[in-house]
Amino acid sequence: MSARDGGQGVLAISLALGLALTIMPLPAALDLLRPYWIALIVIYWNLEGGRLRHLGHGFALGLLLDVMTGTLLGQHALGLVILVFLLERFRARIRFFPPWQQATAVLVLLLNDRVIHLWIIALQGNAWPAWQWWLAPVMGVLVWPWLFLLLDALRRRARAHSH
Amino acid sequence: MSHRNSSLPGGLAADFSSRIARLMFYIVLCMVLMTFDFRGQWVERVRSASTLVAEPLWLAVEAPFRLAGTLSDRWADRSALLAERDALALDLNRSRARLLILDEIERENDRLRGLLDASATIDRDFQTVELRQLDLNPYSHRLLVNRGASEGLRVGQPVLDSNGLVGQVDEVLMHSASVILLSDPDHALPVKVERSRLRTIAYGSGRSGELRLTDLPMNADIEVGDVLISSGLGGRFQPGLPVADVVEVTRVPGEAFARARAELRARMQGARHLLVVTEFAAEERIETEEVPAAETTQLQAEEDGS
Repeated sequence: MSARDGGQGVLAISLALGLALTIMPLPAALDLLRPYWIALIVIYWNLEGGRLRHLGHGFALGLLLDVMTGTLLGQHALGLVILVFLLERFRARIRFFPPWQQATAVLVLLLNDRVIHLWIIALQGNAWPAWQWWLAPVMGVLVWPWLFLLLDALRRRARAHSH
Repeated sequence: MSHRNSSLPGGLAADFSSRIARLMFYIVLCMVLMTFDFRGQWVERVRSASTLVAEPLWLAVEAPFRLAGTLSDRWADRSALLAERDALALDLNRSRARLLILDEIERENDRLRGLLDASATIDRDFQTVELRQLDLNPYSHRLLVNRGASEGLRVGQPVLDSNGLVGQVDEVLMHSASVILLSDPDHALPVKVERSRLRTIAYGSGRSGELRLTDLPMNADIEVGDVLISSGLGGRFQPGLPVADVVEVTRVPGEAFARARAELRARMQGARHLLVVTEFAAEERIETEEVPAAETTQLQAEEDGS
């Protein structure tokens, strides 16, 4: 587990930036397409960094997101707890997938998360979301490789500095 | 954490059932939290405490966008700014002229109320608030504005934009407040059809910018194109504020009630400024009126108007 000594700082910064990107203002047309940044960052750190592997991490991050974005307390938490659970369950397999297969796994995880959110949104008595809503996971997968490379590079640099 | 971390890769089978148990625990916890939050019980207090944490974060995230906004203002094209200023000046003049007429009507109204011995209208004041440059989840039906408790905002104050009613103040922090939109499925607003004086209640439809009217009698006098205004029942919203236009009325034979759909007047897209109606202006008024001078009243009226 040499991967784990990758910078604690990089983890904190990436989570902070993810939060910022989540509530960053976007034009109304793009708002529904916003990738689920925190989920992508959690997936990266879980798979590659060997961090954020506890359900409690997902729960805490989710609650923070709920407070920040004004959703029901527990909505994002539920999604992230299930995400972390699934990641942990299939971690050994997903880690050694070729990149395109890994991206597919990410897409499935994000879609699953959307289904959970859809369920909660519908229970609250909201209207069915527009079809663009389902494009957000696709956007997430499009962002995924770049995020992966960026965080990998940052982590490697942080490790090089610490040695 | 680290000692548990190291135990994760080994002993998978034994670990798995405990993981399932923990997953169930967290899922139940989330469900309980969501239910309480939805029902609006004690989680309310947890929530308002947690937004105290969120407020500095919101401010931190907003700061760069605010800076970008001021920079682009600074470098905005001079001629464009001049044109905008001219347009605004023209607009202001028109509004002033209209206000002069309204002032006269208000005085007349006061006299008539005096004659009728009716209760005096509460002195209302407006506070302009700006939307924070942050996007909350579209399904939260909330907006964040940049004024809070320290600027006199209170829970329940109505919020308007230049076209109509937007919602009401839902949660107040030190320097920001969240506004619940009329379109929230939890929100109900007493309204009146302007044409037929029919009173009913408009519920949020959960779709942005839309209300639904579900308890209309079958023979209710309501048509597509009718304007809904606030009826003032319930005492929270001032009567007569424009709210929405009816866009669809359905009367299904055999059902007990007719239904209608209405589109909000307020346009949230592109709007950056909103008005909050505060009614605690009375004390300030008294102070300013303690300088009695016959000539200054005219001036003051103009100041109030502008």
